[in-house]
Amino acid sequence: MIEAKEVRKQFGPVQALAGVSFSARDGAITALLGPNGAGKTTLLRTLVGMLKRDHGTIAIDGVDPEQDPMTVRANIGFLTDQFGLYERLSTREYLTYFGELNGMGKALLRDRIDQVAAMLGMDDILERRSKGFSQGQRIKVALARALLHRPRHLLLDEPTRGLDVMSTRAVRNALVALRAEGCCVVLATHVMQEVSHLCDDVIVIAKGHTVAQGSPLQLCERTGIANLEDAFVSLVGTDEGIVA
Amino acid sequence: MKPKFVVVFLKEIRETLRDKRSLGLLVMFTLMYPVMLGYILNRQIERATRPEREGISLAVIGAAQAPTLMAQLKQKNITVHEMPDLGEDAITELLHSPKTAALLRLPKNFSESYAAMRPARIELWYDSATEQDNRRHDIEDVLQAYGSNIASARLLAHGVSPAILQPIQVQHYDTGTNAARSAGLIGSILGFLFFPAFICGLSAAVDSTAGERERRSLEVLMAQPARTWELVVGKWLAAGSLAIVGITLELVLAHAILSWLPLEEIGMSWRVNWRDLALVCLASVPLSLLAAGLQIAVAMNARSFKEAQSVLSFVMLVPMVPGIAVSMLDLKTADWMYIVPMLSNQTLLRETAKGGDLGPLPYVLTFGCSLLGALIAVGFASWRMKSERYVLAV
Repeated sequence: MIEAKEVRKQFGPVQALAGVSFSARDGAITALLGPNGAGKTTLLRTLVGMLKRDHGTIAIDGVDPEQDPMTVRANIGFLTDQFGLYERLSTREYLTYFGELNGMGKALLRDRIDQVAAMLGMDDILERRSKGFSQGQRIKVALARALLHRPRHLLLDEPTRGLDVMSTRAVRNALVALRAEGCCVVLATHVMQEVSHLCDDVIVIAKGHTVAQGSPLQLCERTGIANLEDAFVSLVGTDEGIVA
Repeated sequence: MKPKFVVVFLKEIRETLRDKRSLGLLVMFTLMYPVMLGYILNRQIERATRPEREGISLAVIGAAQAPTLMAQLKQKNITVHEMPDLGEDAITELLHSPKTAALLRLPKNFSESYAAMRPARIELWYDSATEQDNRRHDIEDVLQAYGSNIASARLLAHGVSPAILQPIQVQHYDTGTNAARSAGLIGSILGFLFFPAFICGLSAAVDSTAGERERRSLEVLMAQPARTWELVVGKWLAAGSLAIVGITLELVLAHAILSWLPLEEIGMSWRVNWRDLALVCLASVPLSLLAAGLQIAVAMNARSFKEAQSVLSFVMLVPMVPGIAVSMLDLKTADWMYIVPMLSNQTLLRETAKGGDLGPLPYVLTFGCSLLGALIAVGFASWRMKSERYVLAV
């Protein structure tokens, strides 16, 4: 369970977050929608305690990431827009490295790596070094790293970008399975189809503000627009400014 | 469960060891210097111990015209090879080989001019491009002596004392000793022996900071449940241990070579035993750690591998400055020198090589001051990585 209230963050003259409030439930996939530059990356970094907020409160299972970043991070699987692979390490070595950083023991790691590899269909690249991996293979490795330590929360930044149909389905199925296990999944994405099929909740942020939160259906009802994409555009506002 | 800095350390070491090409370069760099040094010193020793005028070989054209000169040359242990008259090309060809030091050509009218007491021309042919300068001087000395002998004899025949032609007499006294001449040499040799501390950890330090930033994997790493100091210390120790291995190898190899060479022949001394060497190596461990710490602290602020490398290649000149300054200002060894990292190691090794009992203080100071510097650098790097500015720039 992730709860944020009135989170603000300013970098010099730039107000990156101007008041973001939302809650993401356990056992649900929450979509984070927002145009480029809306403050999604800043929000995700603030949630894992890499950045300190200027104002507001954040609680991740009741823990403030600013007070206790280690506990929070141990409980979060974080997939940023960077994969962060090491070309000279094999996938297994890469996963072992991050598993150990998360305090996992050898035996547990071995089992978990096999499980995650099976879940994402990446047995074939487990012993290969990541140099020359395709975009899809890279994302799978990064996603496996985020899932490895069985975090209760997942913060995923566009996890299906650049994936072929089969891999996209594998990732989506994995997310559904994680939801069933009771994980709290936050998914930043630009793929509306993914949002309407997969997500239970949608948070729309624009220019550092939360402009709406609710199920995809609720958002459509609120804007009076049947198509989610059009509803989103109407929520983030046109050139004249922000609606709502 | 392993401490997290150990996890980071092991991963960085594994990654570095897999980069075979840069590792090979490091090994080559480390081994090349002592070997090159050994070769140069060996040649110097050979030159110094070569018997004087051993087989100076002189070609002479028209030798029969000056039998006395030939006899005097032979007295000075110069072997005379009589030659038929040669053209200029043939002479050039002959002098090109190192066997023949020079060639004397007595023109056909030599005896005639000699008998008429006109200056009799003797041609001395030599090749200044070959290293025969000393031998040529020896030959010229004989010619000079031969000329003055004849002059003296002629003057005497006219009833004039030859001493009139010597209004002054120059006597040479050289107070320079071999030891003093080689003091500067050994100082600069020892200075470079510590360079691997700054070279061997460099690529690991840059790759694990600026490189990781360039490849965009640092953000992921910083979002893990590990404190920034654990990440920095792991990377620091990885770069530092490579430097430690490099410098220890270099010192051991240099020691093996320097103790094997008969350095006394050129007035140098290397009175270091294996126990001294072990102590110097141990006292130099923090120097490697300091170098790695500085490299990490600097490289983490660079946006790319390239930028870090160019900044660091400048930064790495800084530790050489005190050593060069001291040798330029010709300062005597003083205790304060053991406080300055790098200079302290150079001074320590130089004093050990002289073979005196130094007592524990220089070792402790050398060890402690570098270690202190290393810890400050690592502390700064950890503080920097934690700062929000840094997170934003990653």
